[in-house]
Amino acid sequence: MKNIILKNRYTLLVTVLTVYIVVLVIEGFITGRQAQVLDFENPFFDLNIKDLEGLRERRA
Amino acid sequence: MNKFHLLQFHALLQREILEHRNMFIMAPAILAGLILLFSVWAMTRMGQDTVSISIEYMALLFDGLSPLEMAPMFMIPAIPFIGIFYFCAIIYLMNSLYQDRQELSILFWQSMPVSNLNTVLSKLVTIGMVAPLFYIATMFALYVIALFWLAILGWSYDIEVAGLGYMFLAAVVSLIFVYLSIVTTALWLLPTIGWVVLFSAFAKRTPILWAIGVFILVGFLEEFIFGTQFLGNFVQSRSTPTQYLILDFQDVVERLINYDMLFGIMVGSILLAGAVYMRRFID
Amino acid sequence: MSNIVEARALTKTYGSLKALDGINLTIPTGAISGLIGPNGAGKTTALKALIGLCDVEGELNVAGMDPRAARHKLMEDVCFIADVGILPKWFKVSQLIDYVAGVHPKFDRIKTGEYLSTTDIPANKRIKELSKGMVTQLHLALVMAIDVKLLVLDEPTLGLDIIYRKEFYDRLLNDYYDGDRTIVISTHQVEEIEALLTHLNFINNGEIVLSAMMTDLADIYTEVVVDPEQIAQADALNPIHIRELLGKKSYTFESVPKAQLQPLGEIYTPSVADLFVAKMKDSRHE
Repeated sequence: MKNIILKNRYTLLVTVLTVYIVVLVIEGFITGRQAQVLDFENPFFDLNIKDLEGLRERRA
Repeated sequence: MNKFHLLQFHALLQREILEHRNMFIMAPAILAGLILLFSVWAMTRMGQDTVSISIEYMALLFDGLSPLEMAPMFMIPAIPFIGIFYFCAIIYLMNSLYQDRQELSILFWQSMPVSNLNTVLSKLVTIGMVAPLFYIATMFALYVIALFWLAILGWSYDIEVAGLGYMFLAAVVSLIFVYLSIVTTALWLLPTIGWVVLFSAFAKRTPILWAIGVFILVGFLEEFIFGTQFLGNFVQSRSTPTQYLILDFQDVVERLINYDMLFGIMVGSILLAGAVYMRRFID
Repeated sequence: MSNIVEARALTKTYGSLKALDGINLTIPTGAISGLIGPNGAGKTTALKALIGLCDVEGELNVAGMDPRAARHKLMEDVCFIADVGILPKWFKVSQLIDYVAGVHPKFDRIKTGEYLSTTDIPANKRIKELSKGMVTQLHLALVMAIDVKLLVLDEPTLGLDIIYRKEFYDRLLNDYYDGDRTIVISTHQVEEIEALLTHLNFINNGEIVLSAMMTDLADIYTEVVVDPEQIAQADALNPIHIRELLGKKSYTFESVPKAQLQPLGEIYTPSVADLFVAKMKDSRHE
């Protein structure tokens, strides 16, 4: 088995990526994650309002 | 783990810093220098009245707050440093297992008794824990200079400067928060780091194109085979900047010990293990 | 361990090119073994395979380990110098020494200091500021301070001035080699090292075409300047090479008893260089 996976860089890459995706997909199903990425709403500017409010509370 | 292993790892970290002194030592120093120059220029433009009013206003603003509470505010001046750091970090990771194969030096490195695992680990520890310290140290030096400068200004303009001590303390605490933020970010982004490092080890040319290209390809394949977009979802879940901030010491435990963080570390380790084995194929 | 290197059926293919074509290579402990071949013969590939720097098929055992699986463990007992230029260019000399001292358990930095004090190499300069000859001096100074069992040298003096070349081999023999250590050197300049070697290997087109102890060469190989009347008999004995020598024909024979050759003319033991040419152009194999 090891000989096949480590035969060359391509077999290794394919193996690693396959394991990676399978783990992600299985975990996604088990934990019931959102399976579809909805409208890609500018995630870089997603201020997490909860965090800000929590900060104000701690300051008061 | 024995004394020799620690010594060896220390030598590896030293190598990384020396090899990338431009990114880790020069870059923050230059930024700090520019900020100082800009501040001097701005102050000379503002005139004495504006400066003394500003200092008094700041003292009022922070009146009654403890350094711990003030600290998050002092993370704002750190933003340019953090920005430069992340830019350098991307370049560093992309080149980490690629550049020495492009030059002949890989033949030297591989002729030393350093395991592939230690090679990869040393680069991760360098970027996630050691390099940030140089940025922190530069910022600290900047704050010390600012402290003395403001104290002298305040003394010469005859303003109350007792609060400066507390502000400096808050600035120091903020530096601790910045450092903790960077380290927890590194852990949170381990899957991304692992992806980049894997392709840094794999690619014979243009690792960044491989990293991006294969990501798109694998995303399509996942959709095609499983009908899901967990990969895209996963990546998106790790791209909001505010998730990474440590604003309080309590945050540290929360961010480190939670399922998402631990899952990410586990999954990132798969990619990193791939990178370690990939080091066998260097021709 | 009587053989520090045992390699069988080593094969390496780059696309359609066979850099190594199922070669067998044995290097006894304590030997100074030469691997001679023209450019592109597979010398570098073979040597890199010995250190695990090149992924090859076949059986490979170096100092009791498989280099592909345990490279970093093997590197505690093996050192490698390639053609000049693999030392990291941005390192200062002193920093490089610090690095090796930190990562190598068998490095004696005092020894390196001693060797370096006989050179002109300044501790503060970066590697990229050193001349080619100095870089090799430095690399050798590092290597000689490491207590290894096997030293693998891939054309270490390529492109160096004669002074540096001579000093390199002097140091190697006098200060480093002690009868227990093994040295493997590859080069395409035979004359330079033939006096040092205990074992000789010729490689061409990915194949080993000669593998013998230097002391056996005289028994196996004979060169004969053949009298014109004996040419027919000489041809019948299957020479491996024929060349013109001062108007006469000189035949090289492999494994033919001297008694058979004496009647044909004057017999000599071929020099390693002539033997090299003879084997490279071995007509029987074409």
